Amino acid sequence: MISEPQNIVSRYVQRRVLLFSLLLLALLFVITAALARTYHAREEGLVSEWFQKGNTDLADGKPGQAFEDFRNSLSYGPENTNVQLRLAEALLADGRLTEARSYLVNLWDRAPGSGEVNLDLAHVSMQTGDVDQTIRCFRGAILGSWEKEPALQRRKVRLELCEFLLAHRQNSEAEAEVAGLAADTPSENGVLREENGRLFLRVGEPGKALTEFEAALQINPRQSQWLADAGQVAFEDGDYLKAETYFSKADRESPSDEIHASLMLVRNVLGNDPFLAGLNDEEQARRSWRDFEQGLDRLRKCTGTRADNSSSGQSASDMQLLNKEAQDLQKRVKLGFLVKNPEMRNEAMQLVLRIEGATSQICGPATGMDEALTLIEKRHEGNNP
Amino acid sequence: MSDWDTPVEETQVLAPKGEPLPVGENDSGLKWLSSRARRLTLSEGNLFLLLAIIIGMFSGMAVVCFRISIEWVRLGLLGSALAPSHLRVLLVPAAAGLVVAFLVQKFFRASRGSGVNQTKAAVYVFDGYVPFRTVIGKFLTCSLAIGSGQSLGPEDPSLQMGAGIASALGRRLKLSRDKLRLLAPVGAAAGLAAAFNAPISAVLFVIEEVIGTWSASALGAIVLAAVSAAVVMRSFLGGEPMFRVPAYTLAHPAELLAYAVLGVVSGVLSLAFTKIIAYFRPKLRALPEWTYYFQPAAAGLLIGLIGLQIPQTMGTGYPYIDQALHSQYTWEILAVLGFAKILTTSLSFVSGTPGGMFAPVLFIGAMIGGAIGGLEHHFFPQVSASVAPFALVGMGTFFAGFLRVPITSVFMVVETSGSYSIVLPVMISNTIAYLISREFQDVALFDLLAKQDGLELPSMEEQREQIVLRVEDAMRKPDLPPLQASDTLARALEIAESSTEELLLVRFPTGRWAGIARNDLPTMASAYPPETLLREALSTARLPILHPDQRLDDALRFIQGHPLLPVVGRAGSRKLEGVLSLPDILTAYQRAS
Repeated sequence: MISEPQNIVSRYVQRRVLLFSLLLLALLFVITAALARTYHAREEGLVSEWFQKGNTDLADGKPGQAFEDFRNSLSYGPENTNVQLRLAEALLADGRLTEARSYLVNLWDRAPGSGEVNLDLAHVSMQTGDVDQTIRCFRGAILGSWEKEPALQRRKVRLELCEFLLAHRQNSEAEAEVAGLAADTPSENGVLREENGRLFLRVGEPGKALTEFEAALQINPRQSQWLADAGQVAFEDGDYLKAETYFSKADRESPSDEIHASLMLVRNVLGNDPFLAGLNDEEQARRSWRDFEQGLDRLRKCTGTRADNSSSGQSASDMQLLNKEAQDLQKRVKLGFLVKNPEMRNEAMQLVLRIEGATSQICGPATGMDEALTLIEKRHEGNNP
Repeated sequence: MSDWDTPVEETQVLAPKGEPLPVGENDSGLKWLSSRARRLTLSEGNLFLLLAIIIGMFSGMAVVCFRISIEWVRLGLLGSALAPSHLRVLLVPAAAGLVVAFLVQKFFRASRGSGVNQTKAAVYVFDGYVPFRTVIGKFLTCSLAIGSGQSLGPEDPSLQMGAGIASALGRRLKLSRDKLRLLAPVGAAAGLAAAFNAPISAVLFVIEEVIGTWSASALGAIVLAAVSAAVVMRSFLGGEPMFRVPAYTLAHPAELLAYAVLGVVSGVLSLAFTKIIAYFRPKLRALPEWTYYFQPAAAGLLIGLIGLQIPQTMGTGYPYIDQALHSQYTWEILAVLGFAKILTTSLSFVSGTPGGMFAPVLFIGAMIGGAIGGLEHHFFPQVSASVAPFALVGMGTFFAGFLRVPITSVFMVVETSGSYSIVLPVMISNTIAYLISREFQDVALFDLLAKQDGLELPSMEEQREQIVLRVEDAMRKPDLPPLQASDTLARALEIAESSTEELLLVRFPTGRWAGIARNDLPTMASAYPPETLLREALSTARLPILHPDQRLDDALRFIQGHPLLPVVGRAGSRKLEGVLSLPDILTAYQRAS
């Protein structure tokens, strides 16, 4: 039992000790804070040091070593998402998909809207062959947030997604992505417009591709490559007039054999197509006559070659039949008669087109004027000119 | 021995300058003190809570410094790479082992071991006394040992350091023995909470392993200390969960079977780990004392040799747990890591190197868990989840099996991972591991270690297992119905003749009970006429009542001075369920033993 005076003294001592403890606590706080600050600085230094090393190793194509570096870095900054992401990428590059995926899923849980994480997850899924998941992750990356140059990053992802979709023959999906890409492309960027055009071509949309090329050419009308691209698209789309315009401009800006050959071909088509709109009967007859002569020449040459090469029985009988038809028609066809008789023009051209088709199969692809005739055939295929 | 190390003999009364105050000789001084003290007065309970907060803050900062020092030592001795150079791996643990052994043998003998038992010993044997020298010794030797790659952890030493700080403060404050005894667990909880960044687990561990009861007097202080320590630690080292885990969802109920398998394997392995330590520790302790100087070094050398091939087994291993949690190892590697860690930790611990078992146990659990998960996933991919949740559950499971603290183990997994969804598999797996371990190992590890050290500390597990006797186990039916307050004294005399009880129970309409001792009846009969109603004769008398579900040791406190007490139902105190006397209680205890 403690008496009252003793109790008072005891309490006084307790207060003193408590006060002293608080002072000691404050001192210890200062010391601990200083220690912790130094420690954190050292930790951050190590995180950065190993991170740099990892990046260098990854860039040097040493993902295994990079992985070790990033792991070291992560041991000093376990919450550093940049390091985690790079570590996952190193694992991915090293083919350790399960481990990479585990890290990425963890990152995704924390930041499901991260473009980078979604993109890496797409790469993992791509390598594991999960097409649906890959597409989902790519789309997550497109819609996700990007710290640096978000528009450019999203475009890159979309391009990658397009490539992936095309590789998996999902053309309609790819077309939708390219359309999205085109919609997001700044109108003043000709390079990107041209890139869009090429993609539209790959997804089988030449009309939209041409629109993109033309948009690009509005920004820089003398860009020879874009002119050639536009010409090519117009050519493939059967719009030879446009193709001739673009090829001739391209040929002027930056002459090359390839462009010149394309230009000549287009000009041959335009100069020899008897069914071109706006031609009078005489011109149509003249063209038909010229084409007929060219067709007979091709047939003769091919028949001679065939005789040398002794083709198969079926081809031989076709050629004989064609030869016979050509000889019959040759007896009847005269330029003047063609002017007056559109039916005869059609008949002559039909035969020419059949000759070009048959000889292409037997004697190899047509060139020069014959190639132009083949294109004329394709252009009016199914039509009754 | 410093002033901080002075054991408390009696509550001393000191003047402000430390001199004994001539009580009663200086009234003006006393008045001055009295006025000062009154102004600053805190009740004892509030003072204790304030002290708990201060202890928590001290412990938190001490643990922060401790963890930083371990890292500095590691960086200095082993370098910053997770896989250090071979030369360092081979030499550093052995060389540091020599220094650690020298420090322990020459200056800090109490720093050996993990620290949990030492804290328990402080509570139960040394009246809450933990020398401050032990705190310093633990700090230095464990920093060096763990930082140099010995396979031990900082949690248990933190627990002991917290207890040491609390004890030192309590002694300076001249607290009573009871309070000092209570203070050590408070500090222990604070130290553990800061080390684990898990205040709930720390509180549960201290309750489950150190004090063994949910004592209201201690709980508030323990919680406050743990929380303040965790807050301090988080403000310096960050508040992120200790382990970053991928999201987990239970895909299919059959997955729980896979976790049950994990529980079985972990239970068996934790049992084996316990047996290894239980077998080798006394063998090494029995060697001549001069070998104590070299045992940690020899262990360090062997650990270094293992570390050349498996560097992951060195030190606490926390970064590797993180990697296991992110499925960075195949199940085969995880299994190798788990077994190798059992080996290295056994070497470190049985050699007497200071350091804790928590971190290695978590490491082993994570690796074994991951290995089991990976193996199951390999054969039953549709049933079993990925490796990560198994590694997480494995930590808790091995912890439950090895340290035999099932509740702490569940909360620890949840708290250190911040993932609540994992709780179901953890509960299943932990329970199985715990039951297996208990079935084949009578004594829990800490109790076993205490016994090996010649200490008879109370086993918390045994305490939990003890059958609690209740009033209903000892009470008996009264030989006669009780008297009513409306009965007369004559009726009481009549009843007394046919009853064998020493006390006649009297029931009042209000539910109050009173008693008339058989010996007092003649006196009452001479003082009151026979027709006197009992309610008048016993107007102020009152007997304590007991309920059938009350603990029998509680009943003992009430029965003092009463030959018999009524046992009534909780639904209504008028209905007599039985009676209880002191001989009934003793008989019940004899029967139970």
